[in-house]
Amino acid sequence: MKNKQHSKPRLLWLQSISCNGNAHSFLNHPDLFSILSHFELVYHPILETKHTLQDILKCETECDILIIEGSLKEKGLMKAGVEVSSVIKHYASIATHIISAGTCATFGGMFKQYDPEHITGFCFDGEVQTTRYEQYAQKLISLPGCPIHPKWLGFVLMMIVQNRPIAKDSLHRPLELYAPTVHTGCARNEYFEWKVDTEGFGLKEGCLFYELGCQGPYTHGSCNKILWNDISSKTIAGTPCFGCTEPDFPKTTLFETETRMGIPATMPLGIPRRAYLTVTGVVKSFRIKRFEERLISYDD
Amino acid sequence: MMIKKLIEKIEGEAELDFTLQKGIVEDVRIRFGFYRGIEEILVGKAPRDALVITPRVCGICNHAHLLAAVSALENGYENAGIAVALSSKARYIREFTLACELIQNHMKWFYMTILPQLERLTQSENGENHALKASYLSGVITKALAIFAGQWPHSSYAVPGGVTCDPTYIDVMQAATLVDESIRFFEQVVIGMALEEYMQIDAVGNLHEVKGDLGNVLYLLGTHGIAEYGKSHDRFIAFAEGLGMQSGKSIATTVSKIDVRYVQEWVQEKSMAKAVSYKDRMYETGPLARAMVNKIPIIKSLHKRYKDAVLTRVFARVHEGVMLLSYAKEVLQKLDLSEPSCTLESRLLADTFEGTGVVEAARGSLIHKIKVEDKKISHYDIIVPTQWNLSAGTDQEKGVAIKAMIGAKSMEEASFLFRTFDVCSVCTTQ
Amino acid sequence: MKIADKKALKRESIIQTALQLFSTNGFHKTTIPDIAAKLGMSVGNLYNYFSSKDLLAQEIIRYTSEVLGEKIKEVNMLDVSAEEKVHKIVEIYFSMAKEKPEMIEYFLRVYLSNREVFSDGCEGMVCVSGFITEIMIFFDDAVSSGELRNQDFFSAFGLFMGYLGGMVFLKGEGVLPKDIACYIDDISRNIYYALKA
Ligand code: SF4
Ligand code: SF4
Repeated sequence: MKNKQHSKPRLLWLQSISCNGNAHSFLNHPDLFSILSHFELVYHPILETKHTLQDILKCETECDILIIEGSLKEKGLMKAGVEVSSVIKHYASIATHIISAGTCATFGGMFKQYDPEHITGFCFDGEVQTTRYEQYAQKLISLPGCPIHPKWLGFVLMMIVQNRPIAKDSLHRPLELYAPTVHTGCARNEYFEWKVDTEGFGLKEGCLFYELGCQGPYTHGSCNKILWNDISSKTIAGTPCFGCTEPDFPKTTLFETETRMGIPATMPLGIPRRAYLTVTGVVKSFRIKRFEERLISYDD
Repeated sequence: MMIKKLIEKIEGEAELDFTLQKGIVEDVRIRFGFYRGIEEILVGKAPRDALVITPRVCGICNHAHLLAAVSALENGYENAGIAVALSSKARYIREFTLACELIQNHMKWFYMTILPQLERLTQSENGENHALKASYLSGVITKALAIFAGQWPHSSYAVPGGVTCDPTYIDVMQAATLVDESIRFFEQVVIGMALEEYMQIDAVGNLHEVKGDLGNVLYLLGTHGIAEYGKSHDRFIAFAEGLGMQSGKSIATTVSKIDVRYVQEWVQEKSMAKAVSYKDRMYETGPLARAMVNKIPIIKSLHKRYKDAVLTRVFARVHEGVMLLSYAKEVLQKLDLSEPSCTLESRLLADTFEGTGVVEAARGSLIHKIKVEDKKISHYDIIVPTQWNLSAGTDQEKGVAIKAMIGAKSMEEASFLFRTFDVCSVCTTQ
Repeated sequence: MKIADKKALKRESIIQTALQLFSTNGFHKTTIPDIAAKLGMSVGNLYNYFSSKDLLAQEIIRYTSEVLGEKIKEVNMLDVSAEEKVHKIVEIYFSMAKEKPEMIEYFLRVYLSNREVFSDGCEGMVCVSGFITEIMIFFDDAVSSGELRNQDFFSAFGLFMGYLGGMVFLKGEGVLPKDIACYIDDISRNIYYALKA
C-alpha cells in the first residue's frame, strides 16, 4: 500500500494518556521547522496538520514514523468513541519506525501510578517487556525523559531521515544520548569528586547527591551535556535530578537522599560499594578550603 | 437536534454535544474524557514530591502548578508553626519565571489557536506559518525562564523557603536580553508598534493604531461581525496576587475582596472534569478577569463598549502578554543577589499540616490544597482555571463558556468562541 | 625469590618490629637506630624503605587497618545475620588484642594520642580507610536487611568502636579480672541490642 513516490517520510504524532509536555518541549526546539521540513506531518496534537484527529482515528492514513506520547491503557481511553490503544497499535504495525517519546510512552511513567496494573508504556511496563514488545521491538526507539528533551528527539528524527544506524541499549534507548549519566558534565562535579555536600537549596556550591536526593550519578541521559532550553539543567539550577528517564520514575521522597547509616542507598552507576566507600573515606578526610567557601559573594 | 463534535488541539481534546435549533446553538454540553488521577497518585507520597508530580498535570502550564504546590506547602508549614519568610529575591525570581510561562502560553494560544481558527472561520487564510512565530517566542522566553528554573517544561526549582537556583548577574543579564528579544518580537510582529506607544493606548478609540498580527485579529473580528459575540455572565474572579496584580472579583463596575474558602467544587455528570463556583455563582477567570479586577484602562474601555465579548476576551489575553514583558523586566532589575535564594533549612519539614496555594496561571486562578498527616500526603486537591470557565453550571445558571456559545450561528462559530477561553483539556482532567 | 618480593618481606618485617617497639616503649622514645638495631640492619638501609619515622608510623597504621579490614571483609561476605556478624567482629577485635596486642595498643596509644604525626598524609580516615570501609559495609548491609536501625554513621560507629576500644584499654591497664575473651558474648549482645532496629 505504501506510495513508492513518496519522497518525505510521513510523521504521525499520537497521544495517549499524557500531559502534553513532550509536544510542548519539542515545540521549543530552535530548529523545529527545519527538522519538520524533512517530513510530511500527518498529525500532531498542537501543530496544524493536514488531517484531523477524527481522520486519524479511522485508521486509514499512511504513516512511516510513529511518535507515541503518553502511557497506554489497553481498554478505557477513548477518543470520539474509539479505543486509543487500538489506533496506536494499528499505526505501529504499518510504521517503519516507532518512537516512544517521553517516559510515559516508554515505561508507563507517572500516570502508571494511578492504575499500575493496566497502565504501561507501549513496549515496556517499567523495565519489563509488555506483550506488545515482540511485535514492535525491532522498529522501536525509546526516548524517555519527563518530558522528552527536544534536541534528543530532533537528533533521532534526523538520524532516521539520513538513514544512520542508531545503537541502542537493552531498553532501546539510543546510546549516543543515554549511555552517559546525567552526572556527566554537571557543574557540581568538582564537589562530587571531593564529596562536598551542598549546605542547602539555593547555592551554586556543593553537590546534591548526599542529602538532597540527586539521582544524576545513576540516571541515563545527557541533560548536562546537551543543555535544557540550550542554557541550563536541573542540577545546574540547584534542583536534584529525579531520574526521569528511568523505568521507575517517579520514585518517592524525591528531595532527600535515602541513606543507610549515612551511606547513600544507591551507588553511582556500576560503582561497587566497596570502591565507592574506600574513595569516599579517603576523600572526606581532607578539608579543602576552596570548597568550603562561597564562589562569589555579593554582600558588601 | 443534537450533534457531537470533537474539539482537538486544546491541550488534549474535549467533546461538545451541541443542541441546535434551526442552526442556532441552543445549548452545549462539554465533556472531557479521561481522568488521570494525579490527586490520587499524590496520596501517600512525601509532601515535597508534589513539586515534581503536579507540574506533570499540564505540559503548557506546568510551572504554575509548581508554584501553586510550593505555596500550598509553605502555607501548610506556616499553619504548622514554621515561619516561611521568603527573601524578596526568591519572590521576584518566582514571579519572573511565572510571567515567562504566561507569555509563552498567551503567544502559543494567539498564534496556534486564535489566529488560524479565526482565519479559517472568516476564510482569510494566507498560508502563513503562524506556529513558527509561536515556537520562536516560546523558545526565547522559556529560555529566560530556564536560566533560573533549570528547564521548561517541568521544572521543580521552587522549594519551601525559596528557589534552588543561585543566579549570577551574568545570568540575570542574559535573562534580560531574552526579555528584550521578546519585546522586539512583540513590537515587530505582534503589535507592529513601539512598546511605549502601545502602552499609551487606553481607549477603544485608539485601538486602530495597533498593527501587526494583533491588529489583524482585531480587524478580522471587527469586519466579520464576530467581535460582539461570546458574551457571558460578565462576572470575573482572580484569586491570587502577584505579577503586579491584585486579587478580587469584579461584577458590573465593582471590584470586591474574595476568600478561597467560598470556593465550591463538585463532580459533574458524564464528564471527568469537576465544576467550581464561588458562593454558588459562576465566574470567568483568566486574563480578562485579571484585567477587570485590576481595572486596566484599555480593557475597561473595551468592556464598556463590548462587555465580556470575544473582542475584549481575546484582546485582554494578548495585552496581558505585553504587560507581563514590561513587568518581567522590572522584576529582573530589582533582583538583589546578595539575598539568600532559600531561607528554610532543607531538612526542616512539618509532619502534619494543611495548606492552600493559589497562583494566577495563564488561564486563571489555580488552587492547590494539600493535607499532610504523619509526613505523608493524605489528601490533595487541584482546582484548575478551566474548571471555572468550562463547567456545566448550576441549576440557576449556565457555565461561563456555555453561556458564551449559546446563540452562536453555527457550530464552527461556537467552537471558535469556545477556544477564546484558551481551554486546557489536560488540566481539567488531572 | 624475586627482588621485589624480598623487598616487600623486608618492609613488612620493619613494620612489625617498629610496631612492637612503638607500642611498648612509646613513639617518642623509639628511634630509627633502635629499630634498625633490633632488625640487624643498617640505619641507612632502613631509610631506603622509610624516609622518616613519621612516614613509618603512618605506614604502620595503614597496615594495621588493612589487616583488620581484611578480616572484617571475610565476615561481611558471610551469609549470616547481623547479630552473628557483630559477634564475629568483636571476636576478631579481641583475639587480635590478645594475639597481637601491639597492633591494638599501637592504634590506641600511638595513633590516637600522637595526632600531629598523622596530620600530614594521614588526615581523617585516609590511613584507616581499609578498616572503616568494611565497617561501613557491615552497617549498610545490616540496615538494608532491616536488622539495624538507620542512624548517622558516627553515632553507630562510636558506640561500636568506643566500646571495644574501652575494653582493650582496660585490658592493657591490667584491670580486667577475667580473660578478655570471656566478655565476647555479653559485649556482642550489648552492641547488637543498642544498634538493633
Ligand atoms: S513523560 Fe512526563 S512530560 Fe511526557 S506525557 Fe508523561 S508526564 Fe508528561
Ligand atoms: S549534583 Fe547530581 S549530577 Fe551534579 S555532581 Fe552532584 S550528583 Fe552529580
